[in-house]
Amino acid sequence: MRISWQWLTSLLDLPEAARPSAEGLAAILTSVGLEVDGIERVGEGVQAIIVGEIRGKEPHPRADRLTVVALFDGAETLQVVCGAQNLPPVGGKVAFAPVGARLPNGMEIGAREVRGVASNGMICSETELDIGTDDDGILILPESWPAGARLCDQVPGIVDAILEIGVTPNRPDALGHVGVARDVAVKLQCGLRLPELRAPEVPTEPSLVTIDAPARCGRYLGFVVDGVEVGPSPLWMRVRLHRLGLRAINNCVDITNFVLFEQGQPLHAFDRRRLAEGRVVVRMAGASEPFDALDGSKHELSADDLVIADASIPQALAGVMGGARSMVEAGTSELLLEVAWFQPSGIRASARRHALSSDSSYRFERGVDHGEGLDRAALRALQLLGELAGGTCRAKAEGRGEVPARPRIVLRLARVHHLLGMPVGPAEALRILQGLGVEVEHAEPVTPWTCVAPSHRPDLQREVDLIEELMRFHGLDDLPAEATVPSAPADERPDPRADLRDRLTDALREVGLHELVAYAFTHPDKLRPFLGPGGEAAIVHLQNPLRVPLSVMRTHLIPDLLDALEVNVARHSHPLRLFQVGRVYAWRSEVGEAGAIDPRRAADLEVIDALLPEEREEAAILLHGGEAEDARAAVGALVHALARLGYQPRVEPFAADARVAFLHPGVQARIGVRVDDPSAPVAWVGYAGELHPDALVGRELGGRGRAYVGVIDLGKLPPRPTPIASDRPRFPATSRDLSLEIPLGIAASAVVDALALAAAGLCADVTGDRPRLAGDGISPGIEVVEEYRGQGVAEGRRALLLRLHYRAEERTLTDAEVQELHQAIVASACGGLSRPDAEVRVR
Amino acid sequence: MLVRLQAEQERLLAALAEVADEDALYQLQVAYLGKKGSITALSKELGRVSPDERKRLGAELNRAKAAITEALEGRREALLAEARARDLARVEDLTMPPRRPPFGTLHPLTIARRALIQTFRRMGFDVAEGPHVEHANYNFDALNFQPDHPARDMQDTFGVRDRRGAGDLVLRTHTSPVQIRAMLQRTPPVRIIAPGTVFRCDDDATHSPMFHQIEGLYVDRGVTMADLKATMIQFTAAFFGRALDIRLRPSYFPFVEPGAELDMQCPFCGRARGQTCSVCKGAGWIELGGSGMVHPAVFEAVGVDPEVYTGWAFGFGIDRMAMLMYQIPDLRQMFDGDIRFLQSFPG
Repeated sequence: MRISWQWLTSLLDLPEAARPSAEGLAAILTSVGLEVDGIERVGEGVQAIIVGEIRGKEPHPRADRLTVVALFDGAETLQVVCGAQNLPPVGGKVAFAPVGARLPNGMEIGAREVRGVASNGMICSETELDIGTDDDGILILPESWPAGARLCDQVPGIVDAILEIGVTPNRPDALGHVGVARDVAVKLQCGLRLPELRAPEVPTEPSLVTIDAPARCGRYLGFVVDGVEVGPSPLWMRVRLHRLGLRAINNCVDITNFVLFEQGQPLHAFDRRRLAEGRVVVRMAGASEPFDALDGSKHELSADDLVIADASIPQALAGVMGGARSMVEAGTSELLLEVAWFQPSGIRASARRHALSSDSSYRFERGVDHGEGLDRAALRALQLLGELAGGTCRAKAEGRGEVPARPRIVLRLARVHHLLGMPVGPAEALRILQGLGVEVEHAEPVTPWTCVAPSHRPDLQREVDLIEELMRFHGLDDLPAEATVPSAPADERPDPRADLRDRLTDALREVGLHELVAYAFTHPDKLRPFLGPGGEAAIVHLQNPLRVPLSVMRTHLIPDLLDALEVNVARHSHPLRLFQVGRVYAWRSEVGEAGAIDPRRAADLEVIDALLPEEREEAAILLHGGEAEDARAAVGALVHALARLGYQPRVEPFAADARVAFLHPGVQARIGVRVDDPSAPVAWVGYAGELHPDALVGRELGGRGRAYVGVIDLGKLPPRPTPIASDRPRFPATSRDLSLEIPLGIAASAVVDALALAAAGLCADVTGDRPRLAGDGISPGIEVVEEYRGQGVAEGRRALLLRLHYRAEERTLTDAEVQELHQAIVASACGGLSRPDAEVRVR
Repeated sequence: MLVRLQAEQERLLAALAEVADEDALYQLQVAYLGKKGSITALSKELGRVSPDERKRLGAELNRAKAAITEALEGRREALLAEARARDLARVEDLTMPPRRPPFGTLHPLTIARRALIQTFRRMGFDVAEGPHVEHANYNFDALNFQPDHPARDMQDTFGVRDRRGAGDLVLRTHTSPVQIRAMLQRTPPVRIIAPGTVFRCDDDATHSPMFHQIEGLYVDRGVTMADLKATMIQFTAAFFGRALDIRLRPSYFPFVEPGAELDMQCPFCGRARGQTCSVCKGAGWIELGGSGMVHPAVFEAVGVDPEVYTGWAFGFGIDRMAMLMYQIPDLRQMFDGDIRFLQSFPG
């Protein structure tokens, strides 16, 4: 909201010299919670503009559209060339910028020749002076103004400072200058100087106003004003409205706007002759009833819209906007002036429903004054209509519906100290409350006091609200910093889930990946390649997305990584190693019913949360473009990270029917962890592999196609094991190499398993210090060294070189016993691996 | 025999001069002194000579052996010295691109969030989390946002498309619903922080539809606004390394009353020596976030008696903190994943 420093300070009962400067005012406003976002100086340069009198007019000898004016500046007559077509006749007054003046728009006025004719100054338009928006010709001033007088002396307040204040939604009273001045006056401990108003003594005509919807309209004052002459407002009012960002329209409309910005109370003036039977009915709209607003928009009303109708049709959408039919325009002579209080949430609903928002609806939906302020606004408007538009009030009527009761609030001053940690004394408290219009009953020095909140402060409902008022005006500058000691210590245990997330994040960083944080919403098409059958139904859609590419919650993290990949590929050619730890979202397949659940009960929290989408936490990685990057590197990154967390990672091929559809069918594996000995069951926590080409369709990767990804579901990770110091064998291990030729279909993990199983079988019932595989908690003592495909190995097969380590507990082994065990293990394992369709040979 | 011994000795000395490495030296040693070496062969002949002769020849033989051993050792040392000199003559240019393992990085938001969590944990705050898709009730109603009140417009809200029976859901617009959850699940004293992702329907250079907040809540008997101020000063001391002044300015948030904006003395003034601070623009203060005393209506919504307990809450942006800490000019850079940005935070 824009506040005029001139206007505001004129409402304070302070001698001129004691008025705060614009900066001083800004500091006061900010200190009481009306935060000033900026100060704009306006009218700089207008001081140089004077009233000029037209003494003569001659056509320009060489230009049809120019006039050579003899202009009297109060001292001498100057020759000025002017291009305007609306020059007043001789004797008329204009705004004149003499040579040497500098206009608000920065233009310097100099003596110059215009097509061969000397021109000594410039006759100005409103826009050139930045006091209006009318640039259709020059500004014409009242003839009564003396030539040579400064314009700023004729229009007080033309040089001003505009303060932009942020008014929080609880403060409808601060949406007018009087309301803001009230706060300033309390802070400065001065009074208010409000216009003196007199109620017109006119008959009441009850038939003027009928309220059919008392729940939605608390008060409705109607006044008949006739004899109105519609025309432009005086310059001071046009300037004032312009400063606040409003366009001057005509005196009647301008007056309603002026009163709105002064009193904070919206008004509406109908052309009464256009109202059927010259009266208004405040009623609910009929369903689908049509309404044409004065801004030219057309609406189909709902039965929940409140309208101001005449005897037949709606003439205004109540509190939001007037109708086109009865708007005041040139030729209007009789008004019906509306000053009303509408139920706030109803106005808000209508404004939203019809996407119509106005200065009026903005105030009504926050709650305007339904008491004295309403009457004052009416009288102020009638006063101005009389003074500026020649209108006379002939009749009045008031309709009454339901208005909120003014709450009676018990205030304990001790509670102020209790809440703020600093006291506010009774004298100061009383001054603040009464300054704000709060009625304090039995204001003894000892509280509790019973306070009645004023009707212009709908936000004052309970004791804390009054305490806040005391805080606002007492100020927080002397608030002490005093820590209290909690009556019980906080729970110091770190959340195991958060701990796991942090450690996994660190481990992924440690393997040289860069952490990405991306939007949690995405384009539905980007999720499609990753969804299994029925997956679409689980997508969480936003009701009002900013745009389609951000319209659904992600179900997978990989699309985010691919988005980042595209961004990077488009911008540079660096290889990419990314990871992201974040939530993915999906509706649960089983949904209960909210039913009779009470959200206020802790016991129902679990039930209630079962209605929410599932938010799983995942970690995903992406490798692309580097020389060393391949699917094994992706597996390696995850395995490394898991090992770093203390798990025993495990990599296996997926069963043929359980493969991940968005990964390359031949280049993928599942990843699991174990927490205890190697025989404990595996928790399968994720997968890794090469992205399926179908999952990259539509992605711009500049021809550099392959991307390697991996995912870990944090929720599936078992609690981290406590590390146990491992044995340090005293005797060295010895090793034997083994080269196997196997079909591609047998995974290295299967070969290692078979060897380990064979070793376990062979060593199980042996007593004494016999050789065994030199495994420990982490590795089984079997190392996969390398694989070979190509010459000498048949198509579809490969050679796998393994190294088996052997050791005894208390002695060095002999070659012979190692050889014996090794051969037995190999024979047994090969037997176990060989199937009718898969020959395993020792090379 | 003596003649042969002398000849062998001379032959060896000649051969020794030719020896260029340790291996050849060893071969030579074996050839003379080894089991089948020539000197060893000579000493085996000793048995066949007379005792007198044996004594004399034996002495000669031992002297020759010693001389040979000494010559071999001398040569060995010379070889070692040569090798060492050669090795020390090597030149490697270590200003060539260093071989280094690639390091990964944490996102600046992660770094900032962790630093904040760590600080508040030390101050005795527990960490609480909540869902991103939240009941409108917890996001608004329980926090004293009246239905159909313009206060709801303070936060542009993403609604979640209806799903059978799920009720009115939104993407949480602030971390404040965690206050409600925490107070439903715990009994006072409640002393928590709630860091997390929040969403608002807003997108420009200074607003992102997704950002991050940290919320603080302290509910106990006798908690005051003065305590909030003290706690925030304590926080700045722990986080920035020096106690910064805290300024509270009256403001409005539906779930606190009284409510206040929270300003912090600018910790970055002086970072650019002698120039106007680019962070606070010379104002000396930075707007941190909102705060206030927990509204009694919020206490009532979770079954805490506001006559017995009081509490304060604050909230501020983690993104903004990260932007201040790392001089990040545009919020949107944080989320597009350009590796050149991500790499700049070795964290």
